[in-house]
Formats: sequence, C-alpha cells, structure tokens
Amino acid sequence: MKLNLTVISLVLVAAVSFGLYQLSYEVQELEKDLKGLNKGISENKESVRILKAEWTYQNRPDVLQALSSKHLPLLLIAPYQVASVGEVPYPQVDPEQYSVPVPRHNPRRDYSPATPLPKGPIQLATFTYEGNMQ
Amino acid sequence: MSELTWSTKSPRPRITLTPSLAQNLPDDNHMALRLEGSAKETLEQGRNRLVMAGVIFAICFIALASRLIGLAISGIGDEEVIASEADAPPPVATTESKRAEIRDRNGVLLATTLTTASLFADPKKVLDPKEAAAKLTTVLGDLNEATILSKLASAKNFIWLKRNLTPSQQYQVNSLGIPGLYFREEEKRFYPMGPLVSHVMGFTDVDNHGIAGVEKHFDEQLNGSGERASQELILSLDVRIQHALRDELSRHMSIFRAIGAAGMVMDIKTGEILGMVSLPDFDPNRPGDFSGDAKFNRISLGVYEMGSTFKTFTTAMGLDTGTVGLNGGYDATEPIRKGGFRIRDDHPKKRWLSVPEIYMYSSNIGAAKMADEVGPKRHKAFLAKLGLLEKPSLEIPEIGAPILPPRWNSLETMTISFGHGLSVSPLQLSTGIAAIVNGGNYIKPTVVRRDSEKRTAVRQVISAKTSDIMRRLMRLVVEKGTGGKAAAPGYLVGGKTGTAEKAVGGRYKRDALIASFVSAFPMNDPRYVVFAMLDEPKGNAQTHGFRSAGWTAAPIVGRLISRIGPILSIQPLDEESEAIQKAMFIPINSREKKLASF
Repeated sequence: MKLNLTVISLVLVAAVSFGLYQLSYEVQELEKDLKGLNKGISENKESVRILKAEWTYQNRPDVLQALSSKHLPLLLIAPYQVASVGEVPYPQVDPEQYSVPVPRHNPRRDYSPATPLPKGPIQLATFTYEGNMQ
Repeated sequence: MSELTWSTKSPRPRITLTPSLAQNLPDDNHMALRLEGSAKETLEQGRNRLVMAGVIFAICFIALASRLIGLAISGIGDEEVIASEADAPPPVATTESKRAEIRDRNGVLLATTLTTASLFADPKKVLDPKEAAAKLTTVLGDLNEATILSKLASAKNFIWLKRNLTPSQQYQVNSLGIPGLYFREEEKRFYPMGPLVSHVMGFTDVDNHGIAGVEKHFDEQLNGSGERASQELILSLDVRIQHALRDELSRHMSIFRAIGAAGMVMDIKTGEILGMVSLPDFDPNRPGDFSGDAKFNRISLGVYEMGSTFKTFTTAMGLDTGTVGLNGGYDATEPIRKGGFRIRDDHPKKRWLSVPEIYMYSSNIGAAKMADEVGPKRHKAFLAKLGLLEKPSLEIPEIGAPILPPRWNSLETMTISFGHGLSVSPLQLSTGIAAIVNGGNYIKPTVVRRDSEKRTAVRQVISAKTSDIMRRLMRLVVEKGTGGKAAAPGYLVGGKTGTAEKAVGGRYKRDALIASFVSAFPMNDPRYVVFAMLDEPKGNAQTHGFRSAGWTAAPIVGRLISRIGPILSIQPLDEESEAIQKAMFIPINSREKKLASF
C-alpha cells in the first residue's frame, strides 16, 4: 500500500513535471513565433510605406501630364464638353427602325391549355383507371 | 480488569479503556495506568506535531497550487509583459512611432517617413579597397571612385559612404558581397511630390525636426511628442491644382523672363488654400542644395506694393461708406500734384470718369480722389478690417508683416488708394479680395483642411450689396477693361490687374515691375479666388513689348481657370445668356462724347 502510494505519487510528479516542461517549451516556441510574426508585420508595414511613397512618386502630376500629352490625344476641357446628367437627351427610338413588337400584357395570363385538366386529385401521367398507358 | 491492547495491524497504538479503569482499582492495575498515561502523552504529542507539520505543509502546497492554477488561467507568467501591454495604447505602436504623414485634401501623400539604410564601412576590415571602390561605383553611380578609395584606405574604423540608400541600391550593394561594409537603419523624411509643394510643406533637419513650413508649425503634433499627437496631417492643398498653378506660372515665367512668380488659389467660403506656389522653388528632399531665394515664399513672406489691385478696396470703401454712388465719378482730366508728387494715369482719358470707369480703366487720379474724399482715418480703419495692416495668421512660420507708411495723411491715403506706399503680402491681398467678393465676410486663411460648415473668425467688412456691385465691377474689368486676357470662357472670371514699380532703395525702379492679377470665379456666385504675380516680367513680341499685368499676369489666370475649373467641378456657364448678362449688368454712365452723336 505504502509502496503503491509512493510509486503513484512519483509517477504523478514525473508526469506533471514533464507536462509542465512541455508546456513551458511550447509557450517559448509560441512566443518566438509571435515575435517573428510581429517582426514580419512591421517589416511588411514598412514595405507598404515604401511602396506607397514609390507609388505617389511615380504618380506625380508632372509625370502624368508628360505621359498623357505623349500618349493621349487629350486637350483642355472646353466648356461645351461639360454637361450635367439632366442635359443629356433621352435616347429617341425610331419606331420604323426598331419595330420590335412589345407585348401589351403578360401572355401567360390568358393562357388556357387545349385539353382541360382531369378533375379530382392529381394523377400520375402513366396511370389511368382503365389500367393502360395514356 | 483493564486491558491494554496493541492492535498490531493499526499504525498507531490504540488504547482501549475498559470501564473498570475509571474506578480506582487494585494496585497492579495502577502500574498499567501510569504506563498508559505516559504512552498516551507521548503519542498525543507526536500526533499533534505530525498534524501541525501536515497543516503547515498543506498550507504551503495549497498556496503553490492556487498560484499555479492562477498562472495557468491567466496564461502569462511574466509581469513585465503584462505591464507593457497595459501601457501601450494602440497595437500599431511599433511603426507609428515615426513622424506622422502629411496628405493633401484628397489623401495624396505629401510627406512620409521611411526607414532607409545608410552605408558605412570599417576600413580596417575591407580586404581590397581598390576592388571594393571599383565595385561600389558600378552600383552607386553618383559616387566618385577616388573619394571612395581614399575613404576606404583611411585608418579610421568607421566612415560613412552614402546615407539613405534606396531599397534597390541596398540590395545591389549587399549582392556585391564586399566585406567590411555595413548598413545602419536611419529614418528619412521623404517628399514624393518633390518641389511641387515645397513652400507650404517646408522641410526637416537631419534629426527629423521641422524647420520650415507646416513641418515646423505642426512639429510637435507630427513628432507625436506633445498632447496633440496625430496620426496624420491633412492639408487643404489639392495636388492637381497645385500642379496646374505651378505649371502655368513656370511657363509664363520663362515666356516673360521674370525673375520670380507666385500664385495661389483659395476657397472664399472656407478660407482654405488649395494651391500656393512661389517660384523659384526648391526640393524639400534636399533643401541644402538650394539658395535662400528659392526658399523665399513670395506669397506669404514677401510683401509688395501691389499696385492697382488696391483700387478694388478703394472702390469698395467708397461705395460702402456712401461717399460716392455708382452713378458718381471724379474728374480725371488733370494729374494731381501733391507734396512734390504727381499722380497721373497710365492710360489717360483726360475727362470725367464714373466709378465703374475709374475701376475699369484703372485710373489712379480717380482712385486717389475717391480715397481722399473718404479720408485717411476711415481709409486706415477699412484696410485694417480687411486684415491688410497686421501680420496675417497662417499655419506656416514664414509670414511677412505688412510695411505701413510712417505717417498716414491725405497724401498717403491717395497713394495707397492705387496700391503704392503700403506693402502687403499676396496672401493678405487674396484674403482681402475673398472678403470683398464673398458677401463681405472676412475669413481667416488656412492651409489645413476645414469642414465647409465650420467657419472661423468671420467678421463683416462690407455690406452684401457692395459685395455684389464689386463682383460686377470685377467682371467688367475682364469683359471690357484691362484684364481681358484673363477671360476663361464659361467660367465668368472677374478680376483686377495690378502693375507696380518695385521700390528699391527708397526709389521706384521704372524697369522693374511687379505684375499681378487677382481674380475670382464664377462671378455670379464666386467660389474661388485666384491670384497670379510675376516679378520683373519683360515684354516680348507677342505682347508688343508691354509688360503690364494685363499682358503678362492676366493670361496666367485665364489659362489656369480653364484648367482647374473642371477639377473644382464648377459648372461652365453660357456667358452670353440673358440671365448671366442681367446678373452681371452694371451701368457705366460714361460721359464720353461719342462721334456718332452728330
């Protein structure tokens, strides 16, 4: 009994300390990971900063102006080129050119099948009371 | 009979007392009782000690266990980490400890802080200086091979080779694999727009402390040191307008071979400055390479006698105080002689001129008489209300104070009426004009973005009615008067020319002019004030040798407004339409004798 207790407690101590050390190492590992991730984040942020600065530098108005005057046939906007949405005329459709029939109302509304539906509960298409195929 | 039994199986002796023990019974039992008593005492003592020790140990273990459980639940064993995490407020503290960014009103980056690598060498550890120098010059083209060699051959153990490399340069130097070269990370303020926003922006010193422009004014805020630390600073500038302004100014500066130019665009309702350019300018990335003249802000620091643009204030004053009506006028036949001065007109009409004519033809005689009638005292008070007599407030340190005449009597009032004798900065002039055309409210200028509703320091300077007449008069100048070249079709530009001789050493230099044009648009409901100025323009064949403002400064404004109108989403108007003509109508009441009358 006494021996048993000692053995059990020793095993317990060993197991707990092993678990504790394992936990501690795991935590250390995780903290290392965290530090690495944080470093990566700050490095990425720094890169983003540099790239943003680079992007702004490449998009300087004088550079854009030089490029647009070289590649685009654009001139100064004349006053007549500016209009509000209200001033844009509604597209006029020529009735002769586009004589697509427009349905007056929903054609399905007046639809009635050629043969009237059988009365009573719904029946399977293959089933008749006479016992043969329809 | 009593029994004392040792129960062998039991770990401790058990004393069984029979009832006879309680009674005093025969002598042989007495021995047994004594023995029993001492055994009991010893055993009791031992047991008590054991229990005490057990309790102490139990307390210790419970304390340890509870601590363990507590730690296991909170998950952190390091008090230092807890403390530092509780103290640091934002999670982005690592990167945001840098000097804050500056952006324009649309969020375009104007200034940022980058971590750059600086290259230094430990010459003692460089194995082959010659080869190293040759290799380095292939990557860093702007370095001289001989100087690198002399640096690498020196006996020091630390020497800077190049500060603030670009990331690609750092990569290239790294891939050269020269031993003895190292990098050190440094912070560098970077201005992606270069010289475009130089004067407003200012620049910083090597330690990233602002020493000019908004960098200085908001230094504490940008550095994140004071209570007002901010993540970023948003200016009222618009990079697109700033560029258009700079482009037009520099083009016209070279066309008219001027020694300098300046211009600004300002929102008259909020006082926000959308563009502010002073040429020549500098690159804030390397301010050391530019002269003091390039760093001089002609808009806010320079004070000039602005010339005829002051007639706007004179006319507004005359009309607002009621000394002259719109139908009134003055005789401008003869030049005025006063106190050894002779006031004459540049384009003499030699007849009676009505108020609109005086303004339209820019008559010095008429303006002088108009101001003289108001009187020096009221004149001074009126200009003070417009903020022309005191140092204006703006969020940059480079602000010039106006130069007032030593005395302000009738003669000074006469000369100041057409813009001589009082030097103000273009910033003050534009703010004053904004107050004249926006309905008479003086609004403090700013370079920081403002909410359009929030106005600061509004004071009524002139009545709304006078303001309306002034708008029509300014439009008249562009339509029929001296500022015809400032017309931008569709944008209903109105303005006033100003040509002043530069005062150098107490005398006016006839060949050195300041040509300026101040305007507002669209005149039926003004939104923006545009100012342009050329320092010492020279006439050319296109202007028939003229160098007055109507020929040199006005075209800048005309071109500029057609460029920035669409950016500012101003709806172009049909200037010939009846409604606009009616809104801009002003009776001229000329008494000019027409040949057609007979």
